[in-house]
This record gives sequence, C-alpha cells and structure tokens, in this order.
Amino acid sequence: MSEKDEEIRSIDEINEKIKRGDAVVLTAEEMINLVESSGLEVAAKEVDVVTSGTFGAMCSSGVFLNFGHSDPPIKMTRCWLNDVPVYKGLAAVDGYLGAASMSETKGFEYGGGHVIEDLVSGREIDLRAESYGTDCYPRRHIETVITIDDLNQAMLVNPRNCYQKYDAAANSSDRVLYTYMGTLLPNYGNITFSGAGQLNPLCKDPNYETIGFGTRIFLGGGIGYIIGEGTQHNPTSGFGTLMVKGDLKQMNSRYLRGASFYRYGTTLYLGIGIPIPIINMRVTRTAALKDDEIYVDIRDYGIAVRPDLRPVIKRVSYAELRSGKVTIGDRDIPSSSLSSYKMAREIAETLKKWILEGTFFLTRPIEPLPRHGKPKPLKVKGRELRVGDIMSRNVITAKPSDDIKEVASKLVEKGIDHLPVVDEEDKLAGIVTSWDLARAIAQDKRRLEEIMTRKVIVAFENESIDVVVRRMAQHNISGVPVVDRMNNVIGILTTDDISRKIVGGRTAL
Amino acid sequence: MRVKLIYSHGVVEKPILSSIVLKTGIPINILEARINAQKGELIISIPASGEKLEEILNLFRESGVQAQEFIETLRIDWEKCVACGACISPCPTRALRFREDWTLELIEEKCVACGICVAACPVKAINMP
Repeated sequence: MSEKDEEIRSIDEINEKIKRGDAVVLTAEEMINLVESSGLEVAAKEVDVVTSGTFGAMCSSGVFLNFGHSDPPIKMTRCWLNDVPVYKGLAAVDGYLGAASMSETKGFEYGGGHVIEDLVSGREIDLRAESYGTDCYPRRHIETVITIDDLNQAMLVNPRNCYQKYDAAANSSDRVLYTYMGTLLPNYGNITFSGAGQLNPLCKDPNYETIGFGTRIFLGGGIGYIIGEGTQHNPTSGFGTLMVKGDLKQMNSRYLRGASFYRYGTTLYLGIGIPIPIINMRVTRTAALKDDEIYVDIRDYGIAVRPDLRPVIKRVSYAELRSGKVTIGDRDIPSSSLSSYKMAREIAETLKKWILEGTFFLTRPIEPLPRHGKPKPLKVKGRELRVGDIMSRNVITAKPSDDIKEVASKLVEKGIDHLPVVDEEDKLAGIVTSWDLARAIAQDKRRLEEIMTRKVIVAFENESIDVVVRRMAQHNISGVPVVDRMNNVIGILTTDDISRKIVGGRTAL
Repeated sequence: MRVKLIYSHGVVEKPILSSIVLKTGIPINILEARINAQKGELIISIPASGEKLEEILNLFRESGVQAQEFIETLRIDWEKCVACGACISPCPTRALRFREDWTLELIEEKCVACGICVAACPVKAINMP
C-alpha cells in the first residue's frame, strides 16, 4: 500500500461529521484555491468533501413514465406527448420519452427535452395514444391532457450523462456546419467545446475511487443515483460516462432545460453535481486538478467521417479553451463553450449547501465503475454502394478554350447536362452545365473559360453515395465530376445516375 | 456609434469612406458590408460623438450616401439564457462575451444584427425584434 492509498478518512466518518454539522465542504474551485495557497497536505487534512458540477447538453437522457389506466383501458402501442413520440415497446401504460425524440409537428423546435422541462414546470401536456385493441385492453384511441402530478411515476433514467471531458470542435470546410457541437464557422472560424473542466464531476475523481454504482448525486435539482457506467464509457481514453436515475417529480426546471441545436435536433440541458469524499492523498490531488491540467483534442467536423476518425487539429487544455481563444498556427481562433460554467458553479455551490445543512449524505459505492475498456465502432457488413459503383466512367470533357456553340451541340448530341472542363494536363479546371451554355449563348459569349464555374464541387470514387447525395443537395447541384487524388477526371455522377441505378432499393446493383 | 450607410448606384465607385477617414482622422471600423455594382450597404462603427460625429455624418450625406444611426440589436431573454456560450464564438463581430462571473454580455455597439447567434442559441433565448 502506497502513501497515496492510505485512508485519511472514511465515508462513514464524513457522514458523522455532516450529521454533527462540522464537515468541511469546499467546491472544486475553492479546493483549487486552498491547494494553491496552503498545499496538498493541508487540504487533505482539513477538507472532508469537494463538490463538483456540470450543466450541459446530454442527449442520452429520458424519462420512464407510467400513465395509469383509463376506463376502458388501453394497451398503448404508439404514444405522443405534445406530438413528441414516446417509446412504447413496454407494458400497456409504461413509456420512455427520450430527450432527442422530436415533435412530429414542430420538428427541430420542440422535442423530448422540452416535454421533460414542461413536465417539471408543472405545465399541461397533450397525451395521445393508439392501440389495436385487445380483450383485456379494448380501447383503441385516447386523447387527454396530463401534468406531472397525474403520472404514477416519472423517473429520469439517463443511459449516458456527465462525460468526464469531451473533444472540442472546429470546421475546416468552406461552409457553416450546424452540429451537436453548435455552429461551426468555415475555415476554422471558431472552436466550440463542452464540459466544465475543473468543475466536472468525473475529472475530479478520474480513477473512480469514490464515484461508482450507488453514489448519491445532485440530479436536475433533486436527488439522484449513479446506477452504473454510461453507454460508450471509455475509461481507457479518459472519457468515462455515467448512467443515472432520479425522481423527476423532485426536480427543478432550472436544472432541466429543453434545447435544440439548429439543424441537428433536440436535447436536454441537465445539471449534475457529485460529491467527492477526500478519502486519500490521490483523491485530494485529483479533486484539485485545474483547467490547465485537463486536456482534450480539437477535432475537425469538416470531414464527414466516424467521430473517432475526425482529424485532430490540436491538443488543448480547458484553460486555453475557456480563455476565449485558441492559437492554431499563426491564428487566434475564438473559442466558446456549449455547457454553462456559471450553472456548473451554481450546482457545486448548491450541493455544498445541502451537505452543510445536513440534508445530503454521502454513499459508499457498492461497485466501482469499470476502469478499462473503450467503445467499438459499428462494422457495416456487406458491401455498400460507393461513387465508383454507379458513376459514368465514359465522361465527356471539354477544354477552356473550346467554342461555346460547338460544346453546346456536343451536349445535345450526347444528351448530357454536365461537362467537366479540363486543362492541358487533363486536370479538372471547371464545369459547365447545359443551363450555363444556354445563358452564355443568349449573352453571346464565345469561349468556355468565360463562363465555366471554376470552383467545382467534386466527389471521390471511394466515397459513400449518401455523403455525396447530401453534398449535391447542399450545393443545389445535380451532378459532380469524380476525380482521383491527382485531380484527374475519372468519371461523373449525376442525380440521373443515382435515381436510375438505385431505383427500387439498394439491391439493384 | 453604429451607422448604416446606403450607397446608391451613382456613388458606389467613389472611395468615399476612405476619403472621410483621411480627412477627419477618425478610424472608422466596418462591421458589415454588402456591396455590388448597383448599390451598397455598410454598417460602420464611428468612435466619435457630438460635433465630430455630426461632421462625419454630414460628409457622408454631402457625398450622396445615406447615413443613419443603426439601432437594430438583439433581444436576449435573460430568464431563458443558461449562459452556455454557444452564441459567443460564432459571433463575427465579437459582440457577445462572458462577464467575469460567466454570465453572458452583449456589447450592443459591436452587434450588426446578423442573426448567427439566434440560430446558435440552443434554448431560443436570443431574438431579433
């Protein structure tokens, strides 16, 4: 046993002190200040509990609901609350409402997170459900209005909350991206990040010595419990997550806020605070970790690939992210958070107050969180269509110096609408469409180079069709030249190719 | 003060703004510009007040440019704002920032009412009147 493992105080001893009203409780920020001014030894000796907090978007949140039985009763097979679909693969009047479930009438504007906030606020909610009718549950349709008080249970059960830390985001592409990491401006125009860093619960006990199954926590303004590690728990890389549970009826809408990320979807901003008992020197040290000791990567969301494959632009501390600008190369790029540091601080303060008042006691975890392991990606079995599978390889090109009228007749003759323009070395230099040509002829232009679009949207042979279809829709175009890495044109892909070759589903190859 | 300048067809080709900067010695900052061959609209910030400001506005007007005080700005619902910061880094004019206590602050003088923050706000706390 090393000195760091030696127990300074037990959780039972701390609870005794809380009961007596003489426990010493500091927020994580106050702990940092104490360690800086007086050192670790003093802090370890004096402090019993450090409180942490975070308030951010946590999409994997939701609530189990029991509506109670109507007369005549119904086995709800489909159900909506304020037009937001509720998962109904459970018993007759049980349902699960997820924060990311979106309204069928309001879409991005309103979703499960908003319904949860409205429930906690005591607002009236429209309940609608359908069924096929059974001998024991004959009703086939129900429409009524409920509030949280009408529900037998409303239990917040969140499969993944409270990320230990989270990689920051930037965008190398030439257009604005609207993501779950917020608005990302083109050409690395800004950086967004999430998490409270030095206040973040799992950052204060990254070895999971005090936080585990059964830990009592601040959850949405009420009392909650950790019921295990969260989905995608990634302790090996320092990205642990938690699964938590709490009674929604005891919570406060100040700490549960419906939210929506523009063109992404809906979510729930949720407040969580966890007490860290100062049981040994190692926990003393980690509870005092500062923003400049907690690092994440900035990843490029401009490349449409699997999250863990997004290129890393820079490794950076929460201190640098929170300073408002991050230096990359010779540029200072504005950075800002998506989670609220102000609210995180308020939650740590509130939890501290509860402990000092003797209304919140600490628990010893009944099982530790897993300390090893990382999530796997999803393998796609079978072969999926790629650009190379359906593009036309027989591509007709033109030269910048070609005569517009001659080119126009070539297009008519071949029955095509898109004509890539290549230079002397056969590299892509531009593109013209039949519409460009019609207009050019009307304006009496002569050569292709006068009218061709020089900034060409392209595709690569090994790209997924879905990615390229989205790119074409975003740029409002109906065809893209397919180029190799040397920018030589090797094919062309048009909406015609796509509709003709994949009509009737994806098996027509 | 923020001023909106409207250039009509006849004056877009003249270097009016730079002439006025040279003449008055006041460093005018362009916050937003939309200019084409037919007309132009600029939102500028003039670090001057009183007579000096009047003088600059008159110079624009004499050059055939409409100059009017730009008063559009955002409305932030402080009850809804959770001070997350999602609006801050996307703001092209740095008109939004955190105060020392991590609450949000709008610097109206810098805001050009472009609306990027309205879309960026996850809790719909920002509106344009």
